[in-house]
Amino acid sequence: MITYLKRILFITFVNVIDHFVAGLVLNFFIVLPLTFLTYSLYVYRSNKNINSSEAFLVGLYIDLISETYLGLNALIFCLITYTINLYANSFKLFSYLQICLFFGISASAYVGFIQLVENLYNFSYLVLLISSPINILFCTLIAFISLYFPKSLNKSF
Amino acid sequence: MARIAPTPGQKLSYFIFVCISVLILYLDITSNSFQSIKNSFKSFKVSAFYITNEITIEPIKYVINLTKSKNDLIDENKNLKDALNISYLNNYLISRDNNFFKDEEIIKSAIEKKNYNFSYDIAQLRSLDPNIYKCCDRHRMHIEILSNSQNSYKDNVVFNSSGILGLIVDQNKNKYHEVLLLTDVSHSLPIKSDSNQFFCNAKGSGRLDIIVCSYNPLLWKEEMSINKEFYTSGLGGIYPKNIKVGFLKEIVIEETTIVRLEIKLTTNPLEDSVFGVIKY
Repeated sequence: MITYLKRILFITFVNVIDHFVAGLVLNFFIVLPLTFLTYSLYVYRSNKNINSSEAFLVGLYIDLISETYLGLNALIFCLITYTINLYANSFKLFSYLQICLFFGISASAYVGFIQLVENLYNFSYLVLLISSPINILFCTLIAFISLYFPKSLNKSF
Repeated sequence: MARIAPTPGQKLSYFIFVCISVLILYLDITSNSFQSIKNSFKSFKVSAFYITNEITIEPIKYVINLTKSKNDLIDENKNLKDALNISYLNNYLISRDNNFFKDEEIIKSAIEKKNYNFSYDIAQLRSLDPNIYKCCDRHRMHIEILSNSQNSYKDNVVFNSSGILGLIVDQNKNKYHEVLLLTDVSHSLPIKSDSNQFFCNAKGSGRLDIIVCSYNPLLWKEEMSINKEFYTSGLGGIYPKNIKVGFLKEIVIEETTIVRLEIKLTTNPLEDSVFGVIKY
């Protein structure tokens, strides 16, 4: 229970950071979905499969705190959890670059889907086109940083 | 340790939760079924933020202020700032030089005949997410009405020192209220031109400070030019008549029978933190 609370608190904290970062990068037509990436990383790094109810509840909670339509993040979180669980073993055969590409493209798909629902009348391909390489680059950067992190810290996360 | 690929049972549970998510999403987009939950959570969030602020940051500020011996000055400054904000709103409504109403004579004669009866409550901004305001179609903000009145404020007009901002959409009688801003895509504002020869329903564009009005040029012959001013028409019965809304920024000819006018609003909700809520 405490572990779950810790995770929820951590995701809330990331969501707050996400909120501040969004304000800064939106002016450059970039959307960096930090909360989504953090959750994806958590599912990816988990030793066991994350079940659908957890994905759904976390998504619903994110919907509530980020004031988006209810069910939007719940749906995406369910789908990404299922996809990561499905390919969890295949990822071990992938190179870091391939994994970064996967998460970068997932993040771009997330941005596209969110924009489609939340910003239908002003859907911007420019935001999508700029955000995609930035997200892939960001994932690659995170992978590089985690490579140079102490092993103990990596494991504890 | 190897992770097991989802079993058929797990796949089914994912499918069920995806269906539930889609259903919730559909209900939330098409109706306001979850508005009360969202508003309650919002009220809780705002209250929790202020309580946390009062418990943590304010005592630290107080200690810092004590050490600097500037308490009185800071209090006075705060009081003066509040009074100034309120006087801005007062002046905005009663000043003879303002451009709130198209016809200044309306308010001038009302003052001269001493039948000035514009009544409003003061409200304080509690939450407006600038990210959502800049990025997305839903333009909402939450305000706290500083009044002991227990009336419902639904459909009451909210304004700041530069003009009208939108209307209150929730029915709750709490002190926190949700305001639908003019730029929200679900908002519609009846407007007219300066000459009273052109009427239109301007919809929110989902973009900063822009509302759009589509019309058939075969029906409305009035010539449009950039910087032409628009006012509320009073049709619909929610917004008062003849309030300046904004000016024409762009004319887009979509088809021979559809012309879209992009009107830049004179107001910006990010400018002020004190608002007026007109009482009827």
